[in-house]
Order: sequence, then C-alpha cells, then structure tokens
Amino acid sequence: MNIDEITKASLLYDFYGQLLSRRQRECMELYYEENLSLSEIADEFGISRQGVSDALKNAVRALNDYERKLGLVNKLQKTNQAIAEIDSIIDQVVGSMTDKYADYGTDTAIGNRDSDAVVDKLKRVKDIIDNLED
Amino acid sequence: MVKIRLKRMGAHKKPFYRIVAADARAPRDGKFIEEVGYYNPMTEPADVKIDEEKAQKWLANGAQPTDTVKRLFKNAGIL
Repeated sequence: MNIDEITKASLLYDFYGQLLSRRQRECMELYYEENLSLSEIADEFGISRQGVSDALKNAVRALNDYERKLGLVNKLQKTNQAIAEIDSIIDQVVGSMTDKYADYGTDTAIGNRDSDAVVDKLKRVKDIIDNLED
Repeated sequence: MVKIRLKRMGAHKKPFYRIVAADARAPRDGKFIEEVGYYNPMTEPADVKIDEEKAQKWLANGAQPTDTVKRLFKNAGIL
C-alpha cells in the first residue's frame, strides 16, 4: 500500500466516514491512520483477516462511490489551490506597491495614501484567507 | 517487538503523518517511543523528512517497518 493511497483513503474517510458502519470505521482508522496490518486488526477485533479485508474493501468502495457522486474531496483540493494562488498574487501586489512607494515621504503623496489604503484592504483579505486555511 | 509505523496526526481534512517507532502491542494509545520522521502529503510536492540516524538505529535493533514505511525508507535510500 503506497502513501498516496493512504492519504487518499484518509481524506475520503474525513469527508464521508460517518456514513460507514461502525466496524468499517474501526477498520479504516486502524488501517489508514494507525498503519496496522490486516492481521493486527483481525487480532484486535477477534475476527478473521479475511473479514477485515472485506470490511476495508467495502468501505473504500463506498467512499469512492460517495466521492464520485458528491465530489467534496476534489472540490476541497481545487478550492485550496485557488486560495493559495490568490494568496501569492496578493503577496506580489503588496510587495510591488510597498516597493513602488517606499521612496516617497510619509503621507505626502496622494498615491502613497491610496496605496496604504489598498495594502490595508489586501492585508484584511489575507487575514480572511488565513482563517480559511486553519 | 518494536514497529516503525506511520501515524496519522493533523487536523480533520488535513492529513499529516509521523513515522514513529512504537511498541507492537500498544499501537493505539497514542504513545510511541520515538519520532523517526514525518510525511506531509498536503504540500506540493509532498514533504518527507526522515532522520536517517534514528531510522538506522531502530532497524539495527530489529524494529519492523510496515510495508508503507519500508517504501518510504527505500525512496529515501535508507533501505
């Protein structure tokens, strides 16, 4: 089992895990979050290795089915990507404005005041983004 | 026996894994003996860090890595 598989299953589980049966959830947590082997999980619950394997297979199938229908993980990834892009564009804009007006005296030029106001607003947008990312 | 496992940390919808040495019999109580590294899949590209010295020490002491950890070690050139 490779790490991408684990990450993917973990993420799907975060979104749709509550829709699984209790036994499926227990197996998912031990397998994908605690990295236990099938036989270790089987020992833990006193069921067969095959039973664990079936529970996991059904769970992953169900999670993929939910994702196919609802697409929440995909949506989150796209949203995060968009947010990161917006964040870096704001950094660029703030950076270039700060450089551009650094040579002017404090509050002497109208352009300087305008840019301060814009920079303040952009910083507020960045705060909102930071809160989203937490 | 000591095992080297991945252990999921990190918030809801933000998986983050530690690579830890832990007792095989007490895998679920959250305790582990030592952190050997971490894996953050949420960055682009994924961020893997393995303390090679610690990894070698545990392997030399007979700690068993899980298949997934084995793969990570191989990618890092430790195994």
